[in-house]
Parts: sequence; C-alpha cells; structure tokens
Amino acid sequence: MIKFDNVRYNHPDGTNALDNISLDIPEESITAIVGNNGAGKTTLVKHINGLLKPSTGTVSIKNEDTRNSSVAELSRNVGMVFQNANHQLFADTVKNEILFGLNNFGFNEEFIRERYEFVIELFKLRKYEDISPLKLSGGEKKRVCLASVLAWNPEILILDEPTVGQDELQKTVLLKFINQLHSNKKTVIVISHDIEFLWRLQPNIVTMSDGKIIEIGNSESIFKNQELMEQVGIIPPQIIKIFEGLKIKDEIPLSFEESCKVIKNLRN
Amino acid sequence: MQFIANGFIYRKSNSIIHKLDPRVKLLISIQLFTLALLVSDLYNLLIIFTAITIFSLLGKITQRLLRTMIFATGFSVLILIINYFAGYSLLYSLQIALRFISIVCSTSLFFLVTSPDELEYVLRWFRLPRDLVFAFVTSVRFVPVILMDTLQIMDAQKSRGLELEKGNPITRIKKFVPILVPLIINEVIRSGELAEAMESRGYGISKNPTSLYSLKLVNFDMIVISITMVSFVSVILFGY
Amino acid sequence: MSVKELIRFNNFSFRYNSRDDKILEDINLSIKSNEITVLAGPTGCGKSTLLRAIVGLIPNMYEGEYTGDVIVDGIKIRDAEIKEIAKRVGFVFQNPENQIFMFSVERDIAFGLENLGLEQEIIKKRISKIMKTLNITHLAKKAPHELSDGQKQRTALAGVLAMEPKILILDEPTSLLDPKTAMEFMELINKLCKEEGMSIIIVEHRLDLVLKYADKLIVLSEGKVISDDTPENVFDYKKDIIPELSVPFSTKLYRELAKNQMKFTKPVTGVEDMIREVMK
Repeated sequence: MIKFDNVRYNHPDGTNALDNISLDIPEESITAIVGNNGAGKTTLVKHINGLLKPSTGTVSIKNEDTRNSSVAELSRNVGMVFQNANHQLFADTVKNEILFGLNNFGFNEEFIRERYEFVIELFKLRKYEDISPLKLSGGEKKRVCLASVLAWNPEILILDEPTVGQDELQKTVLLKFINQLHSNKKTVIVISHDIEFLWRLQPNIVTMSDGKIIEIGNSESIFKNQELMEQVGIIPPQIIKIFEGLKIKDEIPLSFEESCKVIKNLRN
Repeated sequence: MQFIANGFIYRKSNSIIHKLDPRVKLLISIQLFTLALLVSDLYNLLIIFTAITIFSLLGKITQRLLRTMIFATGFSVLILIINYFAGYSLLYSLQIALRFISIVCSTSLFFLVTSPDELEYVLRWFRLPRDLVFAFVTSVRFVPVILMDTLQIMDAQKSRGLELEKGNPITRIKKFVPILVPLIINEVIRSGELAEAMESRGYGISKNPTSLYSLKLVNFDMIVISITMVSFVSVILFGY
Repeated sequence: MSVKELIRFNNFSFRYNSRDDKILEDINLSIKSNEITVLAGPTGCGKSTLLRAIVGLIPNMYEGEYTGDVIVDGIKIRDAEIKEIAKRVGFVFQNPENQIFMFSVERDIAFGLENLGLEQEIIKKRISKIMKTLNITHLAKKAPHELSDGQKQRTALAGVLAMEPKILILDEPTSLLDPKTAMEFMELINKLCKEEGMSIIIVEHRLDLVLKYADKLIVLSEGKVISDDTPENVFDYKKDIIPELSVPFSTKLYRELAKNQMKFTKPVTGVEDMIREVMK
C-alpha cells in the first residue's frame, strides 16, 4: 500500500536526512517506527502525505507516485496527528476544530454531518462541543486532534508520539482505539519511544538510525535483539528483560496474563 | 528573502576580523558608514570600496558580502536610473548609486562578523538598561525556534487539507488564521515558561549583575584602531 | 554525609485567584537530603503547583489564597527573598528549549551566576567544574540550535546546578528524550544525588525509567497526597493504587501474582527485583 523505493531526502541546506530507504507497508497493518531522536522518523512519515517529496527515489501510495499529488489530495487518504496538540488547535469551538478538515476537503453536507456525529461520540467529546479546545486538558486536547483527523475517515492514520504526556488510563484508551481502527481495516503507523506501550500493541517494527532503516520485524524479534536496541537508542521492554534474566529466551510470553502463568509454573 | 538575509547573518569563523573586539568592529563599520555619507567623488568612493574589500577578505566573508552587494546593486541601478532621468549627470548618478552600495555594505560587514553574543556585550557596554538588552537577546535567540514552530504548524494544518496557495487574495489571507492562532498561543505559552525559568534562575535579583567575560582591548585591537583612525581622518582632511 | 530535612510542607493549601477551588489541600510532606523523590499523579492533580510552591514562584509570580507553610532549608518561602530561594533550589523545566536564554552553552550556564552578581573568576571556576561533571565541556561555545535534545537537557541542568542548589527539581526531564538518552540522564542524576548530597525531586509519568533510582514515591491525586512512602511500600499488593498511574510491568506482574497467593519477600519495583524473587 505504501511503498518507499530507494528514497533519499536532503534538507534544503544540503544535509542528508533519509538515506536509501526502501520500505513496504502493507494494507491493514499496524507499523511502529522507532529509533533515537534525530534518526529521521518524522521526516520519513512526512513523505507519506506529501509534506516532503523525496530528493531521489519514489514514494507511492497505492501505486500512485506522491510527486503527482498535492498534500491536500494525499491527505484525504492519509491522516496525520502530530505530537504537539498546540500546533494545530486554533478554532473557537471543538465543533469547528473537527469540522475544519471536513470543510477543507469539500465533502457533501450529509457526509460531514454523519462523520461529525460519529467522531464526537467515539471520542466522548459531546459535552465540549461548544467550548474552546484551548480550555481542555492535555489528554482531551489530544482526543480533539485525533477526532479532527479521523473525521474525514482516512485509510491511513499516522500518529507521532501519541502517548507523550498521557496517563495510564488514556494510554489504554488509545491502545483500544488503535486496535479498533485496525479491525476496521485501516493502516496505522505510529512513531513512539514508549516501548512498554508498543509491546502491548505488538505492531510490525521499523527501526531507524541516522536516516537509515536498520531492521524490520515483529515486536518480539526486534525487542529481543540486544545489539539492535543499543544501536537505535532503545531499551527493551521489561517483559523481555525479566524473561531473559530468567533464562527463558525462546518463548517469551506475549501478554500479561501469559506472563503470570509462566512465572507461576517456574515457581512450582 | 533567504538570499538577502544571508548577507546579514553571522556565522562562526576564526578570522582575525572576527577575533577583534566587537567595539572595534563597530568603530570600523561606523567609520566606513560615515565616509560613505560624507564623500561623493568617485576617487574617494573607490577608497571605501577598497577598505571594505580588504576587511571582507581578512574576515573571509567576501562571498556573503557579495550577496549583499548584488542585492544593493539592484537597488542602486534603480537609483541611478531615477537620478539620470531626473536630469543629473551620469557621473553624479553613478556616485549616488555607489554611495548607497557602500552604506549597505558597511552595515552588513558589521553584522557578518559580530555574533549576537558580542553584540550583547556592546549593548551592555553602552550601559543600556538590562531589561532592554535581555529583550534583545531573547528575541534574537528565539527567531529560529519560532520559525520551527511556524513550519510545524503549517505542516499540521496542511495535513488537514489547508491549501494556502489556492483562492483569491481575501480567502488566502483568511487561510492564515489557522496558522497564526496556534503560533500566537504557542509563543504566549513559551514566554510564560521563559519567565518562570528566568525567575527561578534569579533574573533581576542583583542590582549589579556581573558578566562571564568583559570586553578588553588587546594590542592588536589598538593597532587596528590606530590604523583605521589615521586612514579615516586623512580621508576626511585630504580626501576632498 | 548527614541526612537532614530540606523541605517541609505544613498544612499547606493553595487556591489560584483565577479558580474557585483549591488546587492543593492540606499538604504535609517532608523531603530529605541525599534522596531522590519521585512525584507522580494524573494531569491536573496539582504537581506543578507543588513545585512552584517550593521554588517560590508561588506566591511571588502566581497570586492566590495561601495557607500553611512551605519551609525550604530552614527558610519560610512565603516571606523569603527570591535571592535566598534561588540559591537553594534549582528548577529544570520540562522543555529545555525555553530555559536556554543565551547564545552559547557557557554563557547560558553563567546566566544565573551573573544574576547573583558573583565575581568573574568564581563564575569561570563553577562553569568549568559543572561542564566537567556533566560531560559537556566540548560544547562550551556551541549555540543552542547546534545542540541535540539530550545536550540541551544537560545544558539546562548545568545552568541550574552551577548555582549550587541543595534541592534540584526536574519536571518530566525525560519526556522528550529517547529511552537510551533518558537512561543515561537518570544515571547522571542518581550520581549527583549521592555524591553531592542533594535532594532531588522528579516529576515523571514514565515510572519504569525512574523508579529504580527513587528513594521515595509521592502520589498526588485531586490536590491531596494519597501515597508518601518508599516505592516498595506504595506498590505493596495489599494497597490500592489509582488507575492513572503508569505502574512498571514488573510491579504489575508482582501485584497480580502476590494477590494470587504467590509469596514474595518484598514488593517488586524493577526488573532485577523480579528476577531475584522468582529465582529464589
């Protein structure tokens, strides 16, 4: 669905930000991009909705070269929620904030009304409809941002550091929400440092360092690779460390419940 | 815009001009500026140009100063044409144009070789109120940060279907609202955080804050001052 | 090094003038030297207000209804001069970008010292000492925009530590860092605490990164202190914890297992503890 073919990107000042990126993100998958700060994660995802165009190589969405479309055209299919909610909230009410994208893309009234009702319920924002999004707490602001992008029902959703500043309850809601999108056949891409969160999500993982893709694999294989973790500036989740410490390397349980069982058996 | 700005933005370097005391740099710049205002004949303008060239070569900034010159030349051609058609002689119009170029270059020269840090020391040396100097410092310091904010906000709104290039002039102006509002809010938040950080690091608690470095003229500065002062005075006395 | 009480809250309550209800109510706390205290709680629980009360931003910058006392290193914050507080308490804010004012790292570290009106020689000595401790000597002449996130964080810390505070407050210091850089930062903080005998307060959501170093965990909820104890005691399986708290995986595992009759010698707060307990 999303295809990077030998993509190189240089900043306007000439420094290299992405180096020889080839990547295939399949439809209806959940993909996480991890790596140290400055590895090029955000630069990479900005190529998907055309905010950046490759210096050499091609990026294509559904076999369509992104060079041939504007950001607005691409964004109908690719929704992107940035890390800092304050970088996007501007409208006088939550309602107008959510309607912003829907109006920009020029959908018909019926579609707009239907989608608006859908997201306002989904994100439990009904009681805030008529107040300024700036008066909300951090977690609520984030929900407005998500709602404002989800509103036009893009097939691909990109989330940049969605868990920063979120408490445990909010993280659990986010986790459910991503899984729900996945079962609705959406393609989700997450940039995150929050390894414990990623372990619960169990996405495919793309590791990056220094503008290059280092390795791609499922959560277990990536997080078990000590050397790789070191290279991309990540610490493995506690579950891996515990079971490696207990010398159970081959069959690390995936869920919390399984972990409990395995430890109980070990004790007996 | 970027092209012009580059003719005024400081970059680090180790040249002997960069190493001069910032007050000496300011003096040189003022001297050149004053001369450009005073003299009018081609012969003396040539002397100014030579001086500017020498400083820019020593300061290894010729390339960027050239940009300023190209930009100024564009304007001065305009000045030349206007003057010429206003009935002045070609020679006189040419002189006016050249004066304009040297005025711009002498200013640009100073900013190209003086870091904002040094500029702060000069402002303090002039005994400007601390608040004023600090306001200057933070405004320069946060230019790149605010620029980054603007770019990120534009990215966020473009990703929600905002098309800045489309529409008639009035709708286009309206389209800047989704960019300006978050920008203003972000900078208000930022200034609040700055104020807290300043307060907790004791800004304003002492009437006589000290300074990590103090400006000190070394022998080399004195030599440069002597040479430029002698040249400056002789051009004024004997130049015309 | 002798341990002494550095911060004391006595029946402290505060209400901002802009709000109707009290943001903090009846706070009683004691924080000692040579200790790392982690402060946690959901957004809006009053964490920021608590910190502001320690550094004197409350009542100096924020006005409101102030009752009870906050005593820091023997001085009453309410009546103290800012100068006296600034010498004792250092505050590293969440976003390092907004606390680096000057055009070079060394000039920025000097900022607070210049404000105190110290002599040039003393300023120079302190800067070179702190740059060595934090391993940033090579960055002395760098401009803020030339620094990585981790380096900015260290510069912000250096600017505060140069003032030689006895108490250091860090507001979500690792939220913008990648995990490895965050770990290195925490190691550094731990070293500082133990070697310099400082009292360090860290506000943090990511408990899995900081709990290992914490001597004490304070949990705030809706303006009240709901836990104030060692992390082991706070997470004891017999006690309730609020669902907003990001409990480390190893601790969650322990609580679940202990509730199901598995025996532990003490509550688990980190990976190493868990491994030790199971291996026994």
